[in-house]
This record gives sequence, C-alpha cells and structure tokens, in this order.
Amino acid sequence: MNLVRILRWIIGVALLLFQIGAIVYARFVPSRYFCWAPFDMQTDYRIEASVNGEKLNAAQIRQRYRRPEKGADNRSVQHVIDIIEQAEQRYHPTDRTEVTMKYRINGKAEQVWHYARP
Amino acid sequence: MALRAAISSLNPLRAGGTEMPPNLLLLVKIIALALLLTNHARLLPDPFLPFLTMFDAVPGAAFQFSVKVIFICAAVALLLNRAVRWTSLALGASILISVVASKAYYGNNKTFAGLMLLFAGLSDYDRPLHLLRWQLSLVYFGAGLNKVMDGDWQTGLFFEHWARMKVKNPVYIAFSDILPPLVAGKLMCWFTMAAELGASAGLLFGGALPYALWANVLFQAGLLEFTGTTFTMFFYAMQAATLAFVVWPKQILVIYDGDCGLCNRIRTIFESLDFDGMFEWRTYQSAIGDQHGITMQALEEKMHIVVDNAEILSGFAAFRRILMCSPWFWLVLTALIAAPPDNWQTWRRVVVALTLCLFLPVFKPVGEIVYSWVARNRRRIMPGSTCGLEPANGNTIKSA
Repeated sequence: MNLVRILRWIIGVALLLFQIGAIVYARFVPSRYFCWAPFDMQTDYRIEASVNGEKLNAAQIRQRYRRPEKGADNRSVQHVIDIIEQAEQRYHPTDRTEVTMKYRINGKAEQVWHYARP
Repeated sequence: MALRAAISSLNPLRAGGTEMPPNLLLLVKIIALALLLTNHARLLPDPFLPFLTMFDAVPGAAFQFSVKVIFICAAVALLLNRAVRWTSLALGASILISVVASKAYYGNNKTFAGLMLLFAGLSDYDRPLHLLRWQLSLVYFGAGLNKVMDGDWQTGLFFEHWARMKVKNPVYIAFSDILPPLVAGKLMCWFTMAAELGASAGLLFGGALPYALWANVLFQAGLLEFTGTTFTMFFYAMQAATLAFVVWPKQILVIYDGDCGLCNRIRTIFESLDFDGMFEWRTYQSAIGDQHGITMQALEEKMHIVVDNAEILSGFAAFRRILMCSPWFWLVLTALIAAPPDNWQTWRRVVVALTLCLFLPVFKPVGEIVYSWVARNRRRIMPGSTCGLEPANGNTIKSA
C-alpha cells in the first residue's frame, strides 16, 4: 500500500469519525450540526430586531442574519438562534441590539426567544 | 483520427475510458450535472459565521469568487471526463469548504453531496468502495437515531404537522382524517425511522446490501413523490450513490431479430448512444444464440442479452438492463428532473414514477406483457423491415 493510498484512507476515515463524533455530541446539545438530522423539525419563526433603538425592516434583517424575517426552518431551531446570537457577537459587538424571535416547533404552542445587548 | 478520439473522450455521455470505474464516474457526473443545472453556484457563499473561525480572516469576495471558479471548472471538467479523480475531489472540496465557511449555507444535502464527491475521489478503484458505503450507512443511522430520540417523531406529531400544514398532501390528509388523531402521523413516523435504521444496517452487511439499496431508492423516490421536491441535492446524491454499488458489466451481447424494421431502428438508436462500446449487437439469424445455448424459437420470440458471457436475460428484463447500463439514460433522466423550474412538481413526480415502473421488480409482469405485445406485433408496428443477413464476421448485410 503506497503513501498516497494510505493518506486517502486516513482522510476518509477521519471524516467518518468526525461525523460519528457529531452524532454522539448531538445527543447532549440542542444544535444538530453534521449529525444528519435533516428535516427532523419544522420551525415557523418571525424575527423582530432593533439596533441602537431603530427597528430593522425585513431587508435589513435578511442582510444582517442571512435569514428571512419570517419563515420556516427544517432543522433544529437552535441553528437560527445560533446565527442571530453569533452574528451579533462576532460582527456587531458594539451595537445595542434587541432581538425577539417568536416561533412554533411542529405546530405546537408559540415560544419566544429574546436576545438583548445593552 | 487522434483529433476524433480526443473529441470523443470529451463526450459527457460517456462513463468509461477514465481511471474511475464507470458506475462511480456516473455517480459523480449525476451530482455535477444536477449542481450545474440547478445553478448551485449562485448559492456558494462568502464566509459568514464559519464553523472554522480562520475563514473570517479570508477576504469574503475573493473567497466566494475562488470557490465559484473551482466549483464550475471542476463540474464542467468532470462532465467532460477530465482528470476525474482530481476534479471530483475539487468539486466535493469546494462544496464542503463552503459548508464549513458559512452557517447560512450549511445544509445536510450539500454536505452529503460534497462528501460523496470527495469519497469518490478518495476511493481505491481496484477495491470495494467501503468509504462510500460507510458514509451512506452513517447518514441513515444519524437520521434514524435523531428521529427515534425526538418526542414529536415518537408521537407522530412531526409528520402530521409537516404533511398537513406544510406539504398539504391531499392523499395523506384524506388518510389521516379517517383514522383517530395522530395515528397516520405515528405510522408514517415509525415507518420512516424503521426504513432509515434498516437501510443503515443493511448497507453494512453484504447479504442485505441489495435490499438496503432498494430501500434507499424507494425512500428517496417516495419523498419526491410525496413532496414534489428534490430537497435541493439530497435526491440526486442519494439516488446516484446507489450506482456506486451496482456491478457494472464490461460487455453486453444483444441478440435481436435482424429481419425486423423496429428492432433495427432500436439497434441504430442504441448503438449511436453507446459511447463506451459496451454493447455488441448481433442478429439471431447469425446463429450466435447457439454459442450461449439459446434456442432459435426463444430468439424469434424475444430479444436476448448475454451479460459478461455469464448472465442471460430476455424480453423486458433484457431491455431494462440495457437501459440500466446506459450512462446516457441516467444523465438524461437527471436533466429531466433538475432542469425544469422548482414549481414543476407534477413533472418531477411523473418522471420519477415512470422510472420506478421501469425498474421496480413488482412492475416486471406488466413490462413483460407490454414487451410481448410489441414483440409479437413488431413487423406490423414498423413495416418495410430490413432483412439482416449476417455473415461470419458479424457485420449485418441489409437488403431492401
């Protein structure tokens, strides 16, 4: 077995092992990255956000979070929450932001998630 | 001559003549074609909340432009049979790098398509394709496990909500309405979970592999029939993955009636599309059947094929195998599904349903009836037949 063949094999097995790790990790956290959970949750959501006291419109929300202001997500709702939270912390750390997301998972009762950075 | 051979080697409808086995090349070509026809390049992102923070340091526009160029060049090169291992790796890597560079782009279907391309490039072509098999099994295992552990899947609430409120599938709604609340949803949820976990296990064991592959094909086709959508790249990548495990023949001998206009027309069409030179067409009047123990009477009734000098099939089964081993068939089918706009849901459903009818064992008796009728009436369907008298060298002499 030559070196290139071994290298190819190592890369392939490493990618598979990473996914096995992600499947196990997903049992302990609400997010579902790289663990093969497509279309396992239907979340209808609506985002309202204001930055430095000014309410964002639909286009501004899409530009800021790369998500529509109102829509459906077919993976864990935590993915939408992660995007909003991390976009604020990483790209707009000095803004005074307030975000409210109202959402329903699989048609159940409405829930509210709130993010505020004073 | 050399120029002609060079041009011929660029034919996108070929699957042979490269370092990659034909069925594996067909797998990556189907994914590449679907990516191009759905204009996937427009979705490739600049870094946004990357999983690996190092991408935040990369200039966004340059990153996006580079990935798009690599993506398009690799996909086109793959279709033109150029450096197939490297272009498969490059196309897969461009998708996977985009996935880890942007949480907004991240998606299971893209990740799976990228991994299939990457593993096709990483595989040893003289050994069983373990990496692809384990990957496919892992996808179904992860999907099944997550559902089994989810309360809304256990109670059937997920399916009830999704099918009724999102997909608005009239058949499901009618079915659900005649049953007590959530019973239909629960049935569908548990059927899905059983199918996914069963396919995952079946893919790992040799004896169960054919059943697992059929489960994969039917599950993905069923999803398309139910929703009318391909779930972006999932349908293409999952169905194409099945081809990686098909035993691809080297040579198929087709024995047909040389004294039949319809058969000769079909031969001409199929020969013109046989870019890999897999099929050898011989008339039964040449007595070629004797070499394989097939009687003249049987050959008069039906077309026969001999696969790799080992397996003999006749009639509808033979016709089906010819189609199955024709790369152009799968690529045209992919184009028929991928090229139309998203809202052509009925069209996609019809195309996939007809294909299933062609290949599902349960429809074989119907196919045989149709084939037998055509075979019996072949001289009436296309009168003015050409008489094929074949000399010893196998070339057909056609008389008016």
